[in-house]
Amino acid sequence: MERAVTAQKKKRKRTGTTKYIDYTLLLMIICILGFGLVMLYSTSAYNATLKFGSSIYYLKRQAMSAGLGFVLLYICVKLDYHFFAKFAGVAYLLATVLCLAVNFVGTSSHGSSRWLNIAGFSFQPSELAKVAVILYLATVISKRPMAMRTFKGNIKLLATILPIFVVVAYNNLSTAIIIVGIAFIMVFISSPKTAPFILAFVGVALLAVVFIFGTYRQERVQIWLHPENYDTGYQTLQGLYAIGSGGLFGKGLGESIQKLGFVPEAQNDMIFSIICEELGLFGAICVILMYILLLWRLLLIATNAKDMFGSYLVIGIMVHIALQVILNIAVVTNSMPNTGVTLPFVSYGGTSIMFLIAEMGVALSVSKSAHVET
Amino acid sequence: MERLRVYSHRKAKLIGGTFIVVLLALGLRVGYLMIFRASHYAELAVEVEQRERKVKAARGRIIDRNGVILASNKTVCTISVIHNQIEDPEAVISCLTKELGLTEEEIRKKVEKVSSIEKIKTNVEKDIGDAIRAYDLAGVKVDDDYKRYYPYDRILSKVLGFTGGDNQGIIGLEAYYDEALQGEDGKILTYTDARGVEVAELGEVRLEPEAGDDLYVSLDYNISRFATQLAEQTMQRHQASGVEIIVMNPKNGEIYTMVNVPEFSLQEPFTLTEYMAGQTGEKTDLLNEMWRNICISDTYEPGSTFKIITTAAALEEGVVTPEESFYCNGSITVEDTRIRCHKTTGHGSEDFTHAIMNSCNPVFIQLGLRLGAPRFFHYFEQFQMLSTTGIDLPGEGATIMHQLKNVGPVELATISFGQSFQLTPIQMASTVSSLINGGERVTPHIALTCRDRDGKVTRTYKTKDKGSVVSKETSEILRGLLHQVVAEGTGKNGQVAGFAVGGKTATSQMLPRGSGKYIASFIGFAPAEDPEVLAIVIIHEPQGIYYGGTIAAPVCSQLFENILPYLGVEETEKNTDSAVAQ
Repeated sequence: MERAVTAQKKKRKRTGTTKYIDYTLLLMIICILGFGLVMLYSTSAYNATLKFGSSIYYLKRQAMSAGLGFVLLYICVKLDYHFFAKFAGVAYLLATVLCLAVNFVGTSSHGSSRWLNIAGFSFQPSELAKVAVILYLATVISKRPMAMRTFKGNIKLLATILPIFVVVAYNNLSTAIIIVGIAFIMVFISSPKTAPFILAFVGVALLAVVFIFGTYRQERVQIWLHPENYDTGYQTLQGLYAIGSGGLFGKGLGESIQKLGFVPEAQNDMIFSIICEELGLFGAICVILMYILLLWRLLLIATNAKDMFGSYLVIGIMVHIALQVILNIAVVTNSMPNTGVTLPFVSYGGTSIMFLIAEMGVALSVSKSAHVET
Repeated sequence: MERLRVYSHRKAKLIGGTFIVVLLALGLRVGYLMIFRASHYAELAVEVEQRERKVKAARGRIIDRNGVILASNKTVCTISVIHNQIEDPEAVISCLTKELGLTEEEIRKKVEKVSSIEKIKTNVEKDIGDAIRAYDLAGVKVDDDYKRYYPYDRILSKVLGFTGGDNQGIIGLEAYYDEALQGEDGKILTYTDARGVEVAELGEVRLEPEAGDDLYVSLDYNISRFATQLAEQTMQRHQASGVEIIVMNPKNGEIYTMVNVPEFSLQEPFTLTEYMAGQTGEKTDLLNEMWRNICISDTYEPGSTFKIITTAAALEEGVVTPEESFYCNGSITVEDTRIRCHKTTGHGSEDFTHAIMNSCNPVFIQLGLRLGAPRFFHYFEQFQMLSTTGIDLPGEGATIMHQLKNVGPVELATISFGQSFQLTPIQMASTVSSLINGGERVTPHIALTCRDRDGKVTRTYKTKDKGSVVSKETSEILRGLLHQVVAEGTGKNGQVAGFAVGGKTATSQMLPRGSGKYIASFIGFAPAEDPEVLAIVIIHEPQGIYYGGTIAAPVCSQLFENILPYLGVEETEKNTDSAVAQ
């Protein structure tokens, strides 16, 4: 009798109704996060001591945000992700309102107001906007997949993103571009058509080029091409000095010179340059490989999710991380003009890391029901 | 519940694959930057000069035995601009143009250049720096800096040495005692925000510099100045190529002065002197030649002054007494080689005292032959004259002597009167000092102590006890003989009224032999019975008369006439008239 019961249980497991999450992904998240905190401490200790008199100031805040993120991750894993679908519309509206509000009552830094002070915590609503857009699009696409069959339907859906794009773009163009990128790719995947999207992409790219060369942003291009001639090229140039001085195996963890005030606020967007300086080409390639593995894992979960909603959620998350990693490394290596994009899980930013970990929670939740061949 | 559509499945993989390809491409880009562009960016980084400014430590001073400062520091200013902080570029340009005497174009270029910090001018006089400070212009930095300052310019130039731009001693004492003099540089660190602008409220972090120790030396400025003038006059009078004078204390080896004319300007050590500018060759070679301290770096054939050493060895070994009789017929034949005396007609019958007074070559050759090469060389070892003296200056040359196994009778004969080998002037002076001071080998030295800015002694330089090299008796006889040389012999031009002087002259050929170039020299010491001071005078390539007794001995006489009273040496010969009468 007993034997029969266990056999039955085993059979149920194999049929896919088990509640196991993708532990490989969880392990990857922990590794990247651990590495990120070590590098954050290494790069920020000097600035933290200087500004706040405590070398662990940034590390402490980042670790607290990550802890909060893990609480959210746990909740996401425990909950059935379909639960979130109910809040898609509300989240989208809330994010739009907060992003609008930040333009009026936000705390400014470097000339743009991007933070809201809520009960003593500073909160960056544009990070919420990315998550909200992913949730919103995943919900809409999975509810009415037939509407996606026509290009007109695709455009209609994309148009609903316009309000949040405008309010975010007002003071944070790089985040707005990432939001559009996420939306565009999610809709592209949901549509059976390909050619119109490629045409649209080329069209928008051309428009962007005209826009850039026609306005004050032309200076950005000049800075990109000749950073040494411009004041604002200082950051880029110092980042390149950091990369250039790394060599094959780097100066060693904690040994960066450029983080000592030369790469301004090295713990933020430019952290990858310090990774290059301290860990060398070897370390930099390892970091890139780590992200590739993470993306591959997310792709596996997305394509094997048991329903469309789960797939689109994970696709959105994957696109979000991929775009940020690519844009960040491209900027740091001066492969494209400077835009302020952070390196996921590594750069300093409480709101960002909290939402990223929560997003991983959602991906893990989806993985529970996915048929992933491991 | 519906699964992902097939086309969506395919597209998702396409997008994911694209991301991975782009990331791999960025990896290649990073590799390119880190391998192929590394040196380019390293170079640029230095050029932009970062915001860590050095504060030079004050270098220790060099102070002579009487407290005269031979080398110190002058406060000068470095003027720089920080591009980001300039508020009114036109005002900055006009102010700097007016105060610094540079062209407007030059300053405008630097002010408008985008860099974190741009040096406009270094070594600006302090009052000009203060004047620029008074304008209180944003973005203009005036930093105090130290410049090495040598108040007496060319005096002792090759001994003191000078420092390079990085506060590092290049030659002389500045190089030898660099570590003690240097001190620790301080730093000013300034911080920038993301736009590269200095963050004012963070201020600056200063690490205070630590001044170097003062070096107290045995040199005497007054003696040095007088000896330098004397050497310069002598050089001019005889159209010589160079004149060296060393004055030292024969008892303890302290150097009072070391003159090498032509000296060079310590204020502008990289400017060739007139004499050097006339020579041909690479500028760096000429500079090195100009800076070279011949007294310690160059070896020469000592000639007859070396008879002092031959005499000491012979006396110590007991192969001769001052009373022994010799006969000189103008030459001596050693193994088929006829070696002539400088007096070709011969000195005739003479005792050993007169032989040294006459500087008679055949007699000294006989002494050498009596000693034999092994015993003679044994004394060279005993006198410690084959190695370097160990003076505290960089670049000392060692004695160039035959290998004992290669010394035949002819070589032995030529060594006896100071030919066919070479040593440095400082080695000659130190060895003679050791032989006449009672027999104690001295180490010539300059540095005495180091003191910090409060006058506390931080280091004391003591020379090693090198022991006795010759007996007291031999030393005493030697002093008497050398006194006779000056009193009535070839060295009589070295006499000084009121003082008993001992000494020996020499006239040697410059190598290669037969070039018609000579070196005239004289070693003198006083008082003869108990020497307090010893001097060596060497004149290179004098034109006209080139005998040491005629041209070098008077220089020593003039020197002693002035410095003996100055050093507080008491007159010993009251009957000054008789001395003058000669």
